[in-house]
Amino acid sequence: MAASIGEATTPVATSEALARARLRASFVPDLLVEARRVVNTVIAGWHGRRRRGIGENFWQFRPYVEGDSSRIDWRRSARDEHIYVRDKEWEAAHTVWLWADPSPSMLYKSSHATVSKESRALVLILALAELLSRSGERIGWPGLTDPFSARNGAERLASHLTHATTLAFRPDVSSVRRFSDIVIASDFLDPVEETMEWLDVLARHGVRAHLIEVADPAEETFPYSGRTEFRDPETGAKLTAGRAETLADDYRRIYAARRQELSSWAKRLGWSYTVNHTDRLASESLVRVHAAMTVDGGYASGGRR
Amino acid sequence: MSWLPLSFGFPAVLAGLIALPVIWWLLRLTPPKPRSELFPPLRILAQVLRKEETPHQSPWWLTLLRLVMATLVIFALAEPVFNPQQRAETGSGPLALVMDNGWASAPAWDLRVAAAQRLIADANDAGQPVVLAFTAEPAATEIGPFEARAAKERLAAAKPRPVPVDRPGTYARVATSLDGASNVTIAILSDGIRAEGDQTAFAKILSRGAARLVWAEPSDLPKAALTAVENSATAFTLSAVRPASDIAPLQLTAGAYDDRGRRIADATLSFAPGESAATADVAVPFELRNDFASVSIDGEAQAGAIRVLDENSKRRRVGLLSQSEADQAQPLLSPLYYIRRALEPYADLVESQTPDLAVAVPELLAQKPAMVVMSDVGTLPDAAREALVEWVKGGGTLVRFAGSRLAAAEPDEELLPVRLRAGERALGGALSWTEPQPVSEFPATGPFAGLTPPQDVSVTRQVLAEPNPDIVEHTWANLADGTPLVTGAVRGQGTIVLFHVTPEATWSNLPISGSFVEMLRRIVQLSRNQGQVETANGAPAASLPPYRVIDANGALTMPSPEARPLQAGATPKITVENPPGLYGSEEGVVALNLLPADATLDPIARPTTILPVSTVSYALDESRDLKGPLIAAALALMALDTLAVLWIGGVFARRRAGAARATAAMLALAIIAGSVGDGRAQDAKPGDDEAIAAISKTRLAYVLTGDPSIDAVSRAGMEGLRRFLTEKTALEPGEPAGVDIAADELSFYPLIYWPVDPATAMPSEAAIARVDAYMQQGGTVLFDTRDQFETSLDLANSTSPATQRLRDILGDLNVPALEPVPEDHVLTKSFFIMKEFPGRFAGAPLWVEVTAPTQSGEDRPVRVGDGVSPIMITANDFAGAWAVDENGQALLPTVPSDPMQRVYALRGGVNIMMYMLTGNYKSDQVHVPILLERLGQ
Repeated sequence: MAASIGEATTPVATSEALARARLRASFVPDLLVEARRVVNTVIAGWHGRRRRGIGENFWQFRPYVEGDSSRIDWRRSARDEHIYVRDKEWEAAHTVWLWADPSPSMLYKSSHATVSKESRALVLILALAELLSRSGERIGWPGLTDPFSARNGAERLASHLTHATTLAFRPDVSSVRRFSDIVIASDFLDPVEETMEWLDVLARHGVRAHLIEVADPAEETFPYSGRTEFRDPETGAKLTAGRAETLADDYRRIYAARRQELSSWAKRLGWSYTVNHTDRLASESLVRVHAAMTVDGGYASGGRR
Repeated sequence: MSWLPLSFGFPAVLAGLIALPVIWWLLRLTPPKPRSELFPPLRILAQVLRKEETPHQSPWWLTLLRLVMATLVIFALAEPVFNPQQRAETGSGPLALVMDNGWASAPAWDLRVAAAQRLIADANDAGQPVVLAFTAEPAATEIGPFEARAAKERLAAAKPRPVPVDRPGTYARVATSLDGASNVTIAILSDGIRAEGDQTAFAKILSRGAARLVWAEPSDLPKAALTAVENSATAFTLSAVRPASDIAPLQLTAGAYDDRGRRIADATLSFAPGESAATADVAVPFELRNDFASVSIDGEAQAGAIRVLDENSKRRRVGLLSQSEADQAQPLLSPLYYIRRALEPYADLVESQTPDLAVAVPELLAQKPAMVVMSDVGTLPDAAREALVEWVKGGGTLVRFAGSRLAAAEPDEELLPVRLRAGERALGGALSWTEPQPVSEFPATGPFAGLTPPQDVSVTRQVLAEPNPDIVEHTWANLADGTPLVTGAVRGQGTIVLFHVTPEATWSNLPISGSFVEMLRRIVQLSRNQGQVETANGAPAASLPPYRVIDANGALTMPSPEARPLQAGATPKITVENPPGLYGSEEGVVALNLLPADATLDPIARPTTILPVSTVSYALDESRDLKGPLIAAALALMALDTLAVLWIGGVFARRRAGAARATAAMLALAIIAGSVGDGRAQDAKPGDDEAIAAISKTRLAYVLTGDPSIDAVSRAGMEGLRRFLTEKTALEPGEPAGVDIAADELSFYPLIYWPVDPATAMPSEAAIARVDAYMQQGGTVLFDTRDQFETSLDLANSTSPATQRLRDILGDLNVPALEPVPEDHVLTKSFFIMKEFPGRFAGAPLWVEVTAPTQSGEDRPVRVGDGVSPIMITANDFAGAWAVDENGQALLPTVPSDPMQRVYALRGGVNIMMYMLTGNYKSDQVHVPILLERLGQ
């Protein structure tokens, strides 16, 4: 028998939660380093917020459109026949909640992937923490820390993570307020309805969410064949397929349909939905998520619904 | 299991088959172990898996496979034997194996040996000694008892003998060797033919401690055996017998062979239903019969089916009698001279030294001659006559010749075949009307039938037979007028022959002809020696060494070392030391044949005994142990099962990606290899394009002389001719080709125009050799010296430089005899009808190879001949006349300036091209009008 394709990166311990926390704590520093490295690849193109908003600095003149609530800059408007509005650069500190799925299924790493899903999720989250901290945003981990603003936000978040003994499988989103952003890195393998149910709270609160689906390539391509017994790392449930290769097509269709449903739902809410495969680079997703955070909108569509 | 030739060594193991259902149940419950995989999106997979029933059990075919495997193993453990050989009951005592290896055992000897081997193997298993005796072996042969292994070796060394079996003697020896033994198994492997003394022999052997009898006899006896052959004057007769148990009608063919083994005649032996004897006549001419050395029945490989013959090669003794004294001074007039010369090569001649018949005749008859020749003996003394008559009736052959004494003597009915008229008849004398008579065809009924009658023999005197009604059947040879020349008659078992002429060349020239020798030889062959000669001093006759012997398979072979000379005189007994065959030497042989004339083939009778008897059959051991194949099949199934389990486990599917990569790699390799193969197939050579261009259209060619102006005119001339050809004929040549005779391939062009110019360099020898080869292989070169008007004036040195150059060139070529184009040459008619071939100049002849003058009449308008002229020579500057510029205007003026001359020049060019391309075809075409005219009428 050939070696299994997938494995859990953690050994089974008696006190599972504690053991996992310790494990997580043990690799958080490494992930922090990795996150810094990833951030450095992104930071090159990062020059301030570059968006209009509430702030001190002039950002741009923009033609006045009817119904525009902004103030007309008459000095500029007097110079020609058009009426302009002065925009200021947005300088308000922003709260971004970060959360990575700590469930056991995230510990999965197949032979095709370079890292486990959890590792990838934490790297992404910490990298974002670093990015956001540097730009002065407030970051927080629902259920673990309140939002704080610090230059070394990533370290602080990492130390919180290191010392946390238990992490909830679902984030406590009650403290997430409107006009906040939340970044959720998870594999979203629960049924779509359940996922939507707990994410819907955020939508109702008018939070803009950035969903990062961390997917293992083995989950997506289903490279299994022959008589195979599948085990669920969370529930321990087992399924035996007589000839696994015959299931591949159906499975891929359903797997893709789940992702499609979730991502279209997110798009409808104005959220971003990013898929990161663990056999690809973390920076790819980081760039996409960061770009999605910098574009406007999202609060409105989420909040006004 | 009577319906299947299968037996089991341990049938009890088959009870294990009862366990099969249990095995089946167990197999059903243990599916192959799956691979375990951690899989987080299990809930998604669960939606898919709901559709499929997860197999909890092995697939039915896998179960079946394993069940079959189990069944095979159970069967294999039961030690099955396919086609089992029945085993003869052998006891615990020694085995006495008595085997017939006489002549009747030769067919299927291997089967007999196989049966004996099985018996010996059984004895080997029991550890018992074996007494092994063969009934046709010499009495001194060791018979044992042997160890079973030694007996087996002896059995392998034994072979059938071409002699009769000696059962009583052999059985007696076996019985002696068994003295004191008990519980003996007697195995008698008989050949199935009854022989004298069988029953007493059986009784003897079964009386000594025998506990049981194993009996074997062959299922089929020899089909037939030859018992006698007889070569009578009229036919050659074979006699054969067959086993009395065969009653169905049977036809066998027999062949007669000469002394070198060539088949020269056939006969068919037909056994009537119920009959066990048959005869066959070989209907072949007398001469062929005399070449018979052996006869054998086809398809019977045994010594009884062949008989050797000695009659024809046995030398006859011929006694010569004459009343006239031998005149040594005049041997050619001696009456016996020609007879002696004729018979010496074929017969032993016996002569009496005394002319006194009363002494000479008994002296001769004491030698038991086959034939006595009497030359011109009139009357015999009474005692001698009686002895002679007796001898003839006993089988002797008396040959008499006529002569004056016989003609004068009183006719002796008993010693003459026909009644003779007194006196003699002279033919063709001075006072006779008759002519000397030649010999006519020999009568077909007589012994001379088939001989060629001598053309040059004429008979001038003879004695005449009384014309009787039966004279014709006694006549062996006739003269042309119907009077008998040789007559013969049977007296008792003997024959009397009379030549009606003298034995010397006085009455006829028959004795000095070749036919005389042939006739005497035939008579000698009809005769038979009348017994053995008693040697004078009573010493035994020299023994005859074996010359050719018959082996057990019925073939004549060289004698083996154990063959001993045949003691002459004694009644020969056939033994291993004296096998049947020919004894003597090339000069004369005595035949010793296996079966006497009264032999019969009766089936052997099984001895009646109170002992338990088991019968075995002669057959090869065909039993086959099936244990090995069954185990092998089970192992194969096991391998199959492993493969199936791997397949179910998905190993092959997982390898598919790797396999795809491997396939891609192999494909790439194959493509590389294919491209390499293309590279190999690429055999293009430089110059191919030119060659293809040259041969894809007919092209007019000219030799590049190196002088640009000449080459330009040549090219323009070819172009002009090309246009004219395209315009007038079906030929549409391609662009004119200038060829360098030293380098270019010439064989692409039917005609090469060569303007000879003294100013240019002389071609190299190699170039001229190329041109020579081109001409030899069917090409034609048109030499043009273009010097018509430079040659005529200076008579002293009439050769122009161009002509001189041409001579130099032709000096190295194989030029045939040349002539100016005659009026009836094909060139004059191949397209246009032309009388002469002008160019830019007119008047010079066109030289071509001489064609053979027409043989068949003067009226043919054209000469026939094969091939085309390899060379044409002109001085008229054809190319100059043909040359045109790009607009089609003539380049050069003709001399004299006559427009028609240019037209004729072009027509001449057309004719030359047509001649080149069609050969002498046009010489046949000229008859078309006449043929059409004839058809029309």
